Amino acid sequence: MIEVRGLCKEFERSRKAERTAGKAKKQRVKKETFLAVDHVSIEACEGEIIGILGPNGAGKTTLLRMMGMLMSPTGGEVVLTDEEGNEIAELTQKKAAIGYLSGNTKLYPRFSVREYLQFLGELYGFDKDMVRKRSEEIFKVLDMEGFADNRIEKLSTGQTQRASIARCLMADPQVYILDEPTLGLDILSADAIIHFMREQKERGKTVLYSTHYLEEAQILCDRIYMIRDGRIVAHGTPAALMQQTGTDNLRAAFHVLYDTEGAR
Amino acid sequence: MKKIGILIRKEMLDILRDKKTLIMMILVPIVLYPLLIIGMTLVLNSVMSTSEEVSYTVGFDGEYADVVADLQEVMAQDSEEFDEDVEFLAMDEGGSSAVLDATLRFETDSDGRLRAEITYDSTAMNSAHVCRMLEDAVEGYRQKLVVEGLAKLDLDEDFLHPIICTTVDEVSEAESFGVSIGGSIGMMLIVMILMGALYPAIDTTAGEKERGTLETLLTLPVTNFQMIFSKFVSVAIIACVTALLSLISLAGSVLFLIFGVAGDMVVEFGFSATAMVGALPMLFLTMLVTALLSSALCMCFCVFAKSFKEANNYVTPLLLVVMIASMAGMLPSVELDQRTVLIPIVNVSLMMKQVLSQQFSFVLAGVANLVNLCVSILIIWFLAKMYDSENILFADGFRSFRLFVRRSDVKKGTVPDNGDVMLAVTVLFLLMIYVGSAASARLGFWGTAVTQLMILAVPLLLVWYMKSDVKTLFSLNAPRKGTVLGSVLLYLGTYCLIMVLSVALMVLFPESMENVELAFSPIAEQPFVFILLVVALMPAVGEEFLFRGLMFGSIRANWLKRHPKEPAVKGAVYAILISAAVFGVFHMSLAKFFTTFLLGALFAYIVYRTGSIYVTMGLHFVNNAVSMAVMKYPEAVGKVLPFLMEEELSMVEIVGLLAAGVVLAGLGFMLLGKKKE
Repeated sequence: MIEVRGLCKEFERSRKAERTAGKAKKQRVKKETFLAVDHVSIEACEGEIIGILGPNGAGKTTLLRMMGMLMSPTGGEVVLTDEEGNEIAELTQKKAAIGYLSGNTKLYPRFSVREYLQFLGELYGFDKDMVRKRSEEIFKVLDMEGFADNRIEKLSTGQTQRASIARCLMADPQVYILDEPTLGLDILSADAIIHFMREQKERGKTVLYSTHYLEEAQILCDRIYMIRDGRIVAHGTPAALMQQTGTDNLRAAFHVLYDTEGAR
Repeated sequence: MKKIGILIRKEMLDILRDKKTLIMMILVPIVLYPLLIIGMTLVLNSVMSTSEEVSYTVGFDGEYADVVADLQEVMAQDSEEFDEDVEFLAMDEGGSSAVLDATLRFETDSDGRLRAEITYDSTAMNSAHVCRMLEDAVEGYRQKLVVEGLAKLDLDEDFLHPIICTTVDEVSEAESFGVSIGGSIGMMLIVMILMGALYPAIDTTAGEKERGTLETLLTLPVTNFQMIFSKFVSVAIIACVTALLSLISLAGSVLFLIFGVAGDMVVEFGFSATAMVGALPMLFLTMLVTALLSSALCMCFCVFAKSFKEANNYVTPLLLVVMIASMAGMLPSVELDQRTVLIPIVNVSLMMKQVLSQQFSFVLAGVANLVNLCVSILIIWFLAKMYDSENILFADGFRSFRLFVRRSDVKKGTVPDNGDVMLAVTVLFLLMIYVGSAASARLGFWGTAVTQLMILAVPLLLVWYMKSDVKTLFSLNAPRKGTVLGSVLLYLGTYCLIMVLSVALMVLFPESMENVELAFSPIAEQPFVFILLVVALMPAVGEEFLFRGLMFGSIRANWLKRHPKEPAVKGAVYAILISAAVFGVFHMSLAKFFTTFLLGALFAYIVYRTGSIYVTMGLHFVNNAVSMAVMKYPEAVGKVLPFLMEEELSMVEIVGLLAAGVVLAGLGFMLLGKKKE
């Protein structure tokens, strides 16, 4: 289970002083801070798929990166508990318990998938033979036997995506954090990802994912958090969100939510 | 540790599958260097052999044809000196000089002397050569005239030479060979190592960022230090291999030249490779350390870059600086000494010159490597911090990263972590080498005080910055009841043992013991009060703060925090051993290492047991004061404590000291151990 309490991330952005017309000489670059993630609290339990929705620049990626231990928050905390309910404290152990996948997590192009999984497995502390056995299983499940020994740079987009899934499977983490995993994929590859998420849910894993595809989220997610300007605008099951906004699909609900919030 | 191994394997595999690196690593040394060297020599040879067949033409005033005829006669007489043909052409006023290599004009001045003027073109090899020949010829002619003149006066030639001066070059041919080419070989080696480090460094840092695999790497359960360290080691390994390959290929080309094309040229120098064998291990070590240093330097710049291209831009200034620094060996008057040894890269270059001219100092070479190693560690620490900063990964390059945590963000009562402590010691070490030695050179005795002030200031600054709880960290407490006596007894006992040990060490390292005494001789001239202040009191406070306060305190606290379930004794032992080892190394003397280590361990143990740093400050003061007293007033001390003064101990004394030591130390241990809380 992963829980986020009052998570904040402060960024610095520089902006040229706006009143250049009046005071032409004072064209200093002004540095200001803003909260990309503003006191967000999220709870995700075992066997749940949680959707994080929001327009570009809402802070989804920053939020997920902090949850994936890639960034450190400027406020609040991310609490991870294992199956027995004990808190995981150490950073490397936290990282081991989280499978993070996004468009930016590329694989070593000069490795073959098999070599890559071998490296990963040993890094996660499994012994060599076990890693070999698991790699074979994963290849079978993901139907990757045909290209397991090709270098990753030679693989097609869909094959690479499957290799990325294989990466996550090798570690077999508690929590999956997927940042727009289906972005730019064809229908077959996207379906493979969706299938993968469902399967992990059935195995009792926690899945958090962000997406722009509302129809996909509507059928897939158990609960949804809507984010805007770093804050949670609304959350609940898809059905509850639709009921709350009086709409019959998530896309319409999205529009209603963001318009009302923007009007305020 | 295991993770670092796996990561290094991965980095190596990744680097070795990169074509660019492979080309730099294998193709350049194996193909390019021999081609360059052999090609250059061949071209040079062919130029030289063509120049031999050339005959020179010199123009002269027709007026002085008789003088020229005399000159020609002189040249003909000494065919060894003037073995090439020189053709003299009489030329008219304003005649073209295009075909002439040089012109010779004469003029008779008012005193009736003949003045010769040679006009030549210094950029043309033939012209410069013939100019020298003409000069020699004129000189020969002058001598001839002088002898003739003397003969007219009935004087012998010896009349002109009542004294004869000859010079003998002390430097052996091998040495002058080293001086002339050692510098350039050093430079080549440094540049080779740097080149070897460059591409893997870019590939593992900027390249990884560019390929997008760094973010994936950050999701894996490895610490930043493991990540950066394995990258660093991999780059250094590649750099070493490249350097080795280059060296082999270089040596191969030179051997090929010796036995092949231009044998006589090299053999003439009488360079003996056998004399260098002794220096080989040190050379090898130097190469290793240089590889570490250049890898660290390269990575330091590349980490900021987001792409290969950007990394190349950042690295260019570094390359220039290193190139210039590595040319130091080619400067004739710059030698490896106490100052130049402190400049990274420059010291390697100078050391290479020393090695090749066979005037090799192991001490200086060791210091040079130590300095370079320290700098590398500093850089790697810096890098590990950098990788910690997510700005490097997700934001643009140099902008907005913070190396240190802002002091206002530091929580009160933070214990410096082990990395911070080691950094403080490294910084202090470098400060001592640079500032301390400069201060000693300028201020003599009081320079030592500057060093002592730095030792005091660094730990205090660190704990101020970290807002640490100084009282707990530095054990600024009154000693626990009844522990003082035990501490004193334990100290006395250990002192007896140390005395026996140092006598044994004196046999093992006679030279370095003499060095120690030499180093203290200027101190002995000062008034005893000053000596007590600077050599006994200041170290007693500063070094205790640094080693027993900051180092022992932090390492122990950090260990306890990290291993909450294990017995606390283990943490204390760990902290005692590490602080003692650093204390030993800190005194920069191989011979003194064992005794200072023992003393450091003893003091740390006493702090641990008494809970008070004041006890060890007192003991440290007494310890230094006694040895200073021995130095200053040998006779007086000799009367009171005769055994302190003896160079050699008799068997009885050794046994006596050992027994006293064991008994006293045992008593001390018992007393200290009993007062366990």
